[in-house]
Amino acid sequence: MSDTDTLTRRRPPANPVERFAKSPLAGRIAFPLVCLLVWLVALEVVQSIWPFAVDVLPKPTQVLSFMWGEIKGETLAPYNMYETFGISLKRLGIGMAIAMVIGTVIGLGMGLSKSVNAFFNDWVVAILAMPNLAWALFCSLAFGFGDIGPIVTVVLTGVPFVIINVREGVRNAPLDLYDMGRAFGVSRGHIIRHVLIPSLMPFMFAAGRYAFALGWKGLVVAEVFGGEDGAGWTIKFWYDAHRAHGVIGYAMFFVIFALLFEKFMFDRLSRYFFRWRPEVNAADVVEERFDAPPPAVVTAGAVSHANTAAMESLNQVTAGPKSEREHGDDPRRHHDG
Amino acid sequence: MATAVAPPPTTDPPRQSEDDRVRAARRKERIQVVVWRLAGYAFFLGLWEFASGRLMSERLLPGPSDVFATFGELWASGKVPGAFADTLTRIGIGFAIAFVVGTAIGILMQNRWLNGFFRDAVTVGVTTPGLIWALITAIIFGNRPWGPLIAIVLTTFALISVNVAEGIKALPKDLIDMAKSFGVGVVRRNREIVIPHLAPYIFTGVRFGFSIAWKVTVLTEVFSSSSGIGFEMRTASQLFRLPEFLTWILAFYVFALFLEKVVLEVIERRFFAWRGTINS
Repeated sequence: MSDTDTLTRRRPPANPVERFAKSPLAGRIAFPLVCLLVWLVALEVVQSIWPFAVDVLPKPTQVLSFMWGEIKGETLAPYNMYETFGISLKRLGIGMAIAMVIGTVIGLGMGLSKSVNAFFNDWVVAILAMPNLAWALFCSLAFGFGDIGPIVTVVLTGVPFVIINVREGVRNAPLDLYDMGRAFGVSRGHIIRHVLIPSLMPFMFAAGRYAFALGWKGLVVAEVFGGEDGAGWTIKFWYDAHRAHGVIGYAMFFVIFALLFEKFMFDRLSRYFFRWRPEVNAADVVEERFDAPPPAVVTAGAVSHANTAAMESLNQVTAGPKSEREHGDDPRRHHDG
Repeated sequence: MATAVAPPPTTDPPRQSEDDRVRAARRKERIQVVVWRLAGYAFFLGLWEFASGRLMSERLLPGPSDVFATFGELWASGKVPGAFADTLTRIGIGFAIAFVVGTAIGILMQNRWLNGFFRDAVTVGVTTPGLIWALITAIIFGNRPWGPLIAIVLTTFALISVNVAEGIKALPKDLIDMAKSFGVGVVRRNREIVIPHLAPYIFTGVRFGFSIAWKVTVLTEVFSSSSGIGFEMRTASQLFRLPEFLTWILAFYVFALFLEKVVLEVIERRFFAWRGTINS
């Protein structure tokens, strides 16, 4: 493969059309077209075998017109797209805020004290590995329909990620900078403002990103089972109405929504927050663009347990030396260090 | 000190005592950690037990003892092994397909054009909630067996592709070149260099993929199947039997964690036994 790679780079085709056809961008454009083609072919084939399957296999035009209708704000569901996503985002926001507060407190404690770490560690890992379906179903049964169930689900899915990231942040605090600050008589407020917060910032940011991505997934499931409105409830509405084009159209909105948030909100925010840094050191922090090929997803030995579920989110956890240290008690990891 | 003078010293006594002190400190610390860890278990389990029936109604939040009792009942009824077997078969088949597809895409992504082609597929595969796939496959395939399988494949293949692609990108080119110039055949080159190098990446992908696969499987079973853990969970929740519901999910959770953390790890350790001593 690499041979063809170097070949094309060395000897680019003179014809611009040909060059474009061979570029990755053309591949990128080709992907949705191929998907569409497969869809249409599948439709034809299935209809020729089982004529009655027309109901469940929507045509692309149906899905598109459904989506267009939703975008214009016309819908048969009780709320249009903007209202449902607004309701869901409000819940997500409340849940994330609670998760950030609880997670920061516990994470700080766990980073600072070994005993506190031992106290909480197993339970954080346990909550991390719990499927959000369990939280969602449980909360819908225990708290009934409404806001509380989904919000609690968001908190429970988000909190372990915040805790783990804040703990990593505390453990990676630049001790020498504190020492230097103390030696030069810098005031405490100054140190907090200029050393502690900047050093925790990337970890908090990564925490927010995780909590957002996983909280969103949890929230959707929770709304399906225990919501009265919101995005998850609406996709369930179309599912219950047996409108496949509604389900697929809404699924597309979910994909678009997640991509928009990742690409525009978090990338912008990250650029804004970290503009003081010469370059983002991707190896240090658990944050990166998930679109670009992620940097080294670690050799097997270096993968940390606690981060296993973190992979669920879009980001690949980059396990550096810190995750090895985090699991220093695991004998297996010593030989890989 | 009399004791230091009297016996003929076998080794350096003061140094040994320093070692001892370090060891004692370490032991003390280890004991402290264990005690705190046990305290954590006691605290959380106690909180759960206390909350059930006091902070929340027992019907809404059954305590751990209830869950254990219910597990005993379910086990006696004989439903447990069947449900586990159904779900595990589904995970096994779906994950095997996802593994093959994911590896193939990871290899194909080395080509620039195909990289562009599959990039969005991988992104969408990683970002989309499993629930979406579960609902789509449920509405299209009903409760035919391949609905859940497709959902598992769609949610897990991307993770494996990403890891395989990373592994290939990091192949030791110089080693391969050397092998080539020394006339090592293709088969041996792949067996001795490429596969040992890729193995850790693939294992990582498998471990992460599995941790998602079992969750998605249960989720799809909730919507579109008439057997398995997810189905039992749905039945229990529709009948508002919370103890039963919690028992099903917790039992499977424990089992999946066991597979993920113990079984996969033992396999991995055995697989990498050859390099265990290299770096230590």
